[in-house]
Amino acid sequence: MNETSNVQRPTLNVESSASVTTSTIKHQKSYIFWRIIDFVLAGIFIFAGLTKILDLDRLIADLQQIQFVSALADLRNLSLASPAEFASGIDNFKIVPWPVSVALAFYLPWLEIFSALGLVFRFLYRGALAILSASIVVFTLAIIAAKVRGLDITCGCFGHASQHWSFPAHLATNLAILVALLALFFAHARKRGIRQQ
Amino acid sequence: MAALALLPAAGEAIYFRDKISWRSAIAPSEIVTAEQARGWGDTAIWVDARQDDEFANDHVPGAISLNEDRWNELLPQFLAVWAPGKKIIVYCSSLSCNASREVAHRLRKEAQLSDVFVLEGGWEAWLKNNR
Repeated sequence: MNETSNVQRPTLNVESSASVTTSTIKHQKSYIFWRIIDFVLAGIFIFAGLTKILDLDRLIADLQQIQFVSALADLRNLSLASPAEFASGIDNFKIVPWPVSVALAFYLPWLEIFSALGLVFRFLYRGALAILSASIVVFTLAIIAAKVRGLDITCGCFGHASQHWSFPAHLATNLAILVALLALFFAHARKRGIRQQ
Repeated sequence: MAALALLPAAGEAIYFRDKISWRSAIAPSEIVTAEQARGWGDTAIWVDARQDDEFANDHVPGAISLNEDRWNELLPQFLAVWAPGKKIIVYCSSLSCNASREVAHRLRKEAQLSDVFVLEGGWEAWLKNNR
Protein backbone atom coordinates (compact mmCIF):
# COMPACT_ATOMS: atom_id res chain seq x y z
CA MET A 1 0.00 0.00 0.00
CA ASN A 2 2.80 2.26 0.99
CA GLU A 3 4.55 1.59 -2.24
CA THR A 4 1.43 2.47 -4.22
CA SER A 5 1.02 5.79 -2.49
CA ASN A 6 4.70 6.51 -3.00
CA VAL A 7 4.29 5.87 -6.69
CA GLN A 8 1.22 8.09 -6.99
CA ARG A 9 2.65 11.10 -5.15
CA PRO A 10 5.17 12.18 -7.83
CA THR A 11 2.44 11.88 -10.48
CA LEU A 12 0.26 14.28 -8.53
CA ASN A 13 3.18 16.71 -8.20
CA VAL A 14 3.81 16.61 -11.91
CA GLU A 15 0.14 17.31 -12.61
CA SER A 16 0.00 20.21 -10.17
CA SER A 17 3.23 21.75 -11.45
CA ALA A 18 1.95 21.35 -15.01
CA SER A 19 -1.25 23.16 -14.10
CA VAL A 20 0.78 25.93 -12.39
CA THR A 21 2.91 26.29 -15.53
CA THR A 22 -0.19 26.43 -17.75
CA SER A 23 -1.74 29.04 -15.49
CA THR A 24 1.51 31.08 -15.51
CA ILE A 25 1.66 30.95 -19.31
CA LYS A 26 -2.00 31.97 -19.51
CA HIS A 27 -1.34 34.79 -17.07
CA GLN A 28 1.70 35.95 -19.06
CA LYS A 29 -0.24 35.82 -22.32
CA SER A 30 -3.07 37.85 -20.82
CA TYR A 31 -0.55 40.34 -19.36
CA ILE A 32 1.13 40.76 -22.76
CA PHE A 33 -2.27 41.22 -24.42
CA TRP A 34 -3.33 43.99 -22.02
CA ARG A 35 0.07 45.65 -22.28
CA ILE A 36 -0.32 45.73 -26.07
CA ILE A 37 -3.72 47.41 -25.65
CA ASP A 38 -2.08 49.86 -23.20
CA PHE A 39 0.59 50.75 -25.76
CA VAL A 40 -1.83 51.03 -28.69
CA LEU A 41 -4.14 53.37 -26.76
CA ALA A 42 -1.20 55.35 -25.39
CA GLY A 43 0.12 55.71 -28.94
CA ILE A 44 -3.24 57.01 -30.15
CA PHE A 45 -3.50 59.58 -27.36
CA ILE A 46 0.14 60.65 -27.62
CA PHE A 47 -0.30 61.13 -31.37
CA ALA A 48 -3.55 63.04 -30.78
CA GLY A 49 -1.83 65.28 -28.22
CA LEU A 50 1.26 65.89 -30.33
CA THR A 51 -0.73 66.85 -33.43
CA LYS A 52 -2.21 69.70 -31.38
CA ILE A 53 1.08 70.83 -29.83
CA LEU A 54 3.41 70.43 -32.81
CA ASP A 55 2.92 71.36 -36.43
CA LEU A 56 3.03 67.82 -37.84
CA ASP A 57 1.03 68.40 -41.03
CA ARG A 58 4.00 68.30 -43.42
CA LEU A 59 5.61 65.37 -41.62
CA ILE A 60 2.39 63.34 -41.75
CA ALA A 61 1.85 64.23 -45.42
CA ASP A 62 5.41 63.12 -46.28
CA LEU A 63 5.02 59.89 -44.32
CA GLN A 64 1.73 59.19 -46.09
CA GLN A 65 3.50 59.63 -49.44
CA ILE A 66 6.41 57.44 -48.19
CA GLN A 67 8.91 60.28 -48.62
CA PHE A 68 11.22 59.49 -45.74
CA VAL A 69 14.02 61.90 -46.70
CA SER A 70 11.58 64.83 -46.68
CA ALA A 71 10.07 63.49 -43.46
CA LEU A 72 13.50 63.62 -41.80
CA ALA A 73 13.91 67.21 -42.96
CA ASP A 74 10.43 67.99 -41.55
CA LEU A 75 11.46 66.45 -38.23
CA ARG A 76 14.45 68.79 -38.06
CA ASN A 77 12.25 71.81 -38.81
CA LEU A 78 9.46 70.88 -36.42
CA SER A 79 7.74 73.86 -34.83
CA LEU A 80 4.97 74.43 -32.30
CA ALA A 81 1.43 74.43 -33.68
CA SER A 82 -0.71 77.46 -33.08
CA PRO A 83 -3.13 76.71 -30.22
CA ALA A 84 -5.61 78.99 -31.99
CA GLU A 85 -6.31 76.19 -34.46
CA PHE A 86 -7.37 73.68 -31.79
CA ALA A 87 -9.17 76.41 -29.84
CA SER A 88 -11.19 77.12 -33.01
CA GLY A 89 -11.94 73.41 -33.25
CA ILE A 90 -13.32 73.42 -29.70
CA ASP A 91 -15.15 76.67 -30.32
CA ASN A 92 -16.86 75.13 -33.37
CA PHE A 93 -18.87 72.92 -31.01
CA LYS A 94 -20.47 76.07 -29.55
CA ILE A 95 -20.56 74.54 -26.09
CA VAL A 96 -18.09 76.68 -24.16
CA PRO A 97 -17.18 80.37 -24.52
CA TRP A 98 -14.01 81.33 -26.42
CA PRO A 99 -11.76 81.92 -23.35
CA VAL A 100 -12.59 78.40 -22.11
CA SER A 101 -11.82 77.02 -25.60
CA VAL A 102 -8.40 78.69 -25.44
CA ALA A 103 -7.71 77.30 -21.95
CA LEU A 104 -8.75 73.81 -23.08
CA ALA A 105 -6.62 74.13 -26.21
CA PHE A 106 -3.57 74.66 -24.01
CA TYR A 107 -4.51 72.05 -21.43
CA LEU A 108 -6.16 69.06 -23.20
CA PRO A 109 -3.21 68.00 -25.42
CA TRP A 110 -0.92 67.78 -22.38
CA LEU A 111 -3.57 65.97 -20.38
CA GLU A 112 -3.85 63.41 -23.21
CA ILE A 113 -0.08 62.95 -23.35
CA PHE A 114 0.42 62.65 -19.58
CA SER A 115 -2.50 60.24 -19.22
CA ALA A 116 -1.15 58.17 -22.12
CA LEU A 117 2.25 58.04 -20.41
CA GLY A 118 0.40 56.86 -17.31
CA LEU A 119 -0.81 53.88 -19.36
CA VAL A 120 2.67 53.13 -20.67
CA PHE A 121 4.43 53.28 -17.29
CA ARG A 122 1.42 52.08 -15.28
CA PHE A 123 1.81 55.21 -13.17
CA LEU A 124 -1.45 56.50 -11.62
CA TYR A 125 -2.95 53.93 -13.94
CA ARG A 126 -6.60 54.01 -12.86
CA GLY A 127 -6.58 57.80 -12.82
CA ALA A 128 -5.15 57.88 -16.35
CA LEU A 129 -7.80 55.44 -17.57
CA ALA A 130 -10.54 57.45 -15.87
CA ILE A 131 -9.34 60.74 -17.44
CA LEU A 132 -9.04 59.25 -20.93
CA SER A 133 -12.43 57.51 -20.69
CA ALA A 134 -14.11 60.67 -19.41
CA SER A 135 -12.56 62.78 -22.18
CA ILE A 136 -13.71 60.30 -24.85
CA VAL A 137 -17.24 60.23 -23.40
CA VAL A 138 -17.42 64.05 -23.27
CA PHE A 139 -16.06 64.37 -26.80
CA THR A 140 -18.49 61.74 -28.14
CA LEU A 141 -21.42 63.52 -26.51
CA ALA A 142 -20.14 66.81 -27.95
CA ILE A 143 -20.00 65.49 -31.52
CA ILE A 144 -23.47 63.96 -31.16
CA ALA A 145 -24.80 67.27 -29.81
CA ALA A 146 -23.11 69.14 -32.68
CA LYS A 147 -24.65 66.76 -35.20
CA VAL A 148 -28.11 67.13 -33.66
CA ARG A 149 -27.75 70.93 -33.73
CA GLY A 150 -26.68 70.79 -37.37
CA LEU A 151 -23.20 72.20 -36.74
CA ASP A 152 -20.53 71.45 -39.29
CA ILE A 153 -17.64 70.54 -37.03
CA THR A 154 -13.98 70.17 -37.87
CA CYS A 155 -12.65 68.77 -34.62
CA GLY A 156 -8.97 68.37 -35.49
CA CYS A 157 -8.76 65.66 -32.83
CA PHE A 158 -5.97 63.98 -34.77
CA GLY A 159 -4.75 67.10 -36.53
CA HIS A 160 -5.44 67.40 -40.23
CA ALA A 161 -5.62 63.60 -40.49
CA SER A 162 -9.11 63.69 -38.97
CA GLN A 163 -10.26 66.98 -40.43
CA HIS A 164 -12.48 65.45 -43.07
CA TRP A 165 -13.70 62.46 -41.11
CA SER A 166 -17.41 61.87 -41.33
CA PHE A 167 -19.69 61.78 -38.31
CA PRO A 168 -19.97 57.95 -38.32
CA ALA A 169 -16.17 57.66 -38.60
CA HIS A 170 -15.74 59.93 -35.56
CA LEU A 171 -18.34 58.00 -33.63
CA ALA A 172 -16.95 54.56 -34.52
CA THR A 173 -13.39 55.58 -33.61
CA ASN A 174 -14.47 57.03 -30.28
CA LEU A 175 -16.58 54.03 -29.37
CA ALA A 176 -13.76 51.62 -30.23
CA ILE A 177 -11.35 53.62 -28.05
CA LEU A 178 -13.91 53.77 -25.23
CA VAL A 179 -14.51 50.00 -25.36
CA ALA A 180 -10.74 49.37 -25.22
CA LEU A 181 -10.34 51.78 -22.27
CA LEU A 182 -13.20 50.15 -20.36
CA ALA A 183 -11.78 46.70 -21.07
CA LEU A 184 -8.45 47.82 -19.60
CA PHE A 185 -10.24 49.25 -16.60
CA PHE A 186 -12.09 46.01 -15.87
CA ALA A 187 -9.06 43.82 -16.55
CA HIS A 188 -7.06 45.92 -14.09
CA ALA A 189 -9.83 45.80 -11.47
CA ARG A 190 -10.11 42.01 -11.90
CA LYS A 191 -6.37 41.57 -11.50
CA ARG A 192 -6.39 43.66 -8.32
CA GLY A 193 -9.30 41.59 -7.01
CA ILE A 194 -7.41 38.33 -7.62
CA ARG A 195 -4.29 39.70 -5.92
CA GLN A 196 -6.26 40.80 -2.87
CA GLN A 197 -7.83 37.33 -2.57
CA MET B 1 -2.04 63.50 -13.70
CA ALA B 2 -4.46 66.37 -14.25
CA ALA B 3 -2.29 68.66 -12.14
CA LEU B 4 0.89 67.56 -13.91
CA ALA B 5 -0.57 68.53 -17.28
CA LEU B 6 -1.20 72.05 -15.98
CA LEU B 7 2.50 72.86 -15.88
CA PRO B 8 3.39 72.55 -19.59
CA ALA B 9 -0.02 74.01 -20.48
CA ALA B 10 0.74 77.10 -18.41
CA GLY B 11 4.18 77.33 -20.03
CA GLU B 12 2.63 77.15 -23.48
CA ALA B 13 0.04 79.77 -22.56
CA ILE B 14 2.84 82.13 -21.49
CA TYR B 15 4.82 81.39 -24.67
CA PHE B 16 1.80 82.14 -26.90
CA ARG B 17 0.50 85.09 -24.85
CA ASP B 18 0.92 87.55 -27.73
CA LYS B 19 -0.18 85.16 -30.48
CA ILE B 20 -3.66 84.20 -29.35
CA SER B 21 -6.50 86.35 -28.13
CA TRP B 22 -8.41 85.25 -25.03
CA ARG B 23 -11.27 87.61 -25.91
CA SER B 24 -12.10 86.71 -29.48
CA ALA B 25 -11.56 83.72 -31.77
CA ILE B 26 -9.85 85.99 -34.26
CA ALA B 27 -6.86 88.10 -33.31
CA PRO B 28 -7.87 91.80 -33.28
CA SER B 29 -5.31 92.51 -36.01
CA GLU B 30 -7.14 90.08 -38.32
CA ILE B 31 -10.63 91.57 -37.92
CA VAL B 32 -11.99 94.41 -40.01
CA THR B 33 -15.25 96.24 -39.47
CA ALA B 34 -17.67 96.87 -42.33
CA GLU B 35 -16.93 100.59 -42.08
CA GLN B 36 -13.15 100.11 -42.25
CA ALA B 37 -13.55 97.69 -45.14
CA ARG B 38 -15.60 100.23 -47.10
CA GLY B 39 -12.76 102.70 -46.65
CA TRP B 40 -10.32 100.32 -48.35
CA GLY B 41 -12.29 100.58 -51.62
CA ASP B 42 -10.65 98.93 -54.62
CA THR B 43 -7.53 97.95 -52.73
CA ALA B 44 -9.44 95.04 -51.23
CA ILE B 45 -10.85 91.81 -52.65
CA TRP B 46 -14.03 90.46 -51.08
CA VAL B 47 -14.25 86.72 -50.51
CA ASP B 48 -17.59 85.09 -49.79
CA ALA B 49 -17.06 81.98 -47.64
CA ARG B 50 -20.76 81.03 -47.53
CA GLN B 51 -22.39 78.12 -49.36
CA ASP B 52 -23.00 78.39 -53.12
CA ASP B 53 -26.76 78.91 -52.80
CA GLU B 54 -26.32 81.79 -50.33
CA PHE B 55 -23.74 83.39 -52.63
CA ALA B 56 -26.06 82.96 -55.62
CA ASN B 57 -28.88 84.58 -53.66
CA ASP B 58 -26.95 87.76 -52.89
CA HIS B 59 -23.41 88.87 -52.11
CA VAL B 60 -21.13 91.88 -51.71
CA PRO B 61 -20.69 93.44 -55.19
CA GLY B 62 -17.53 92.08 -56.81
CA ALA B 63 -17.08 89.36 -54.20
CA ILE B 64 -15.59 86.03 -55.21
CA SER B 65 -17.05 82.80 -53.89
CA LEU B 66 -14.54 80.65 -52.03
CA ASN B 67 -15.98 78.08 -49.65
CA GLU B 68 -14.50 74.97 -48.07
CA ASP B 69 -16.86 72.59 -49.87
CA ARG B 70 -15.42 73.48 -53.28
CA TRP B 71 -12.05 74.76 -52.10
CA ASN B 72 -9.88 73.03 -54.71
CA GLU B 73 -12.15 74.17 -57.52
CA LEU B 74 -12.64 77.77 -56.38
CA LEU B 75 -9.15 78.61 -55.11
CA PRO B 76 -7.58 78.87 -58.61
CA GLN B 77 -10.42 81.20 -59.67
CA PHE B 78 -9.71 83.40 -56.67
CA LEU B 79 -5.94 83.39 -57.25
CA ALA B 80 -6.52 84.48 -60.84
CA VAL B 81 -8.17 87.65 -59.55
CA TRP B 82 -5.84 88.26 -56.62
CA ALA B 83 -2.90 90.62 -57.02
CA PRO B 84 0.03 91.21 -54.63
CA GLY B 85 -0.58 94.08 -52.22
CA LYS B 86 -4.35 93.67 -52.26
CA LYS B 87 -6.12 93.16 -48.97
CA ILE B 88 -8.46 90.19 -48.71
CA ILE B 89 -11.69 90.49 -46.74
CA VAL B 90 -13.43 87.20 -46.00
CA TYR B 91 -17.00 87.08 -44.78
CA CYS B 92 -19.66 84.52 -43.93
CA SER B 93 -23.29 84.92 -42.91
CA SER B 94 -23.15 86.44 -39.41
CA LEU B 95 -21.17 87.01 -36.25
CA SER B 96 -21.59 83.39 -35.13
CA CYS B 97 -20.42 81.63 -38.31
CA ASN B 98 -17.00 80.01 -38.61
CA ALA B 99 -16.61 79.70 -42.37
CA SER B 100 -14.87 83.07 -42.82
CA ARG B 101 -12.39 82.23 -40.08
CA GLU B 102 -11.63 78.84 -41.62
CA VAL B 103 -11.26 80.22 -45.15
CA ALA B 104 -9.05 83.08 -43.91
CA HIS B 105 -6.91 80.57 -42.05
CA ARG B 106 -6.53 78.36 -45.11
CA LEU B 107 -5.69 81.33 -47.32
CA ARG B 108 -2.89 82.27 -44.93
CA LYS B 109 -1.62 78.76 -44.41
CA GLU B 110 -2.20 76.92 -47.68
CA ALA B 111 -2.07 79.77 -50.19
CA GLN B 112 0.60 81.60 -48.13
CA LEU B 113 -1.24 84.92 -48.50
CA SER B 114 -0.88 87.81 -46.09
CA ASP B 115 -3.25 90.72 -45.44
CA VAL B 116 -6.21 88.39 -44.99
CA PHE B 117 -8.96 89.85 -42.80
CA VAL B 118 -12.27 88.57 -41.46
CA LEU B 119 -15.27 90.88 -41.68
CA GLU B 120 -16.71 91.43 -38.22
CA GLY B 121 -20.39 90.47 -38.20
CA GLY B 122 -20.19 88.97 -41.69
CA TRP B 123 -22.81 89.47 -44.38
CA GLU B 124 -25.37 90.76 -41.84
CA ALA B 125 -23.02 93.55 -40.76
CA TRP B 126 -22.25 94.47 -44.38
CA LEU B 127 -25.96 94.64 -45.20
CA LYS B 128 -26.60 96.85 -42.17
CA ASN B 129 -23.81 99.20 -43.21
CA ASN B 130 -24.57 99.41 -46.91
CA ARG B 131 -28.32 99.21 -47.41
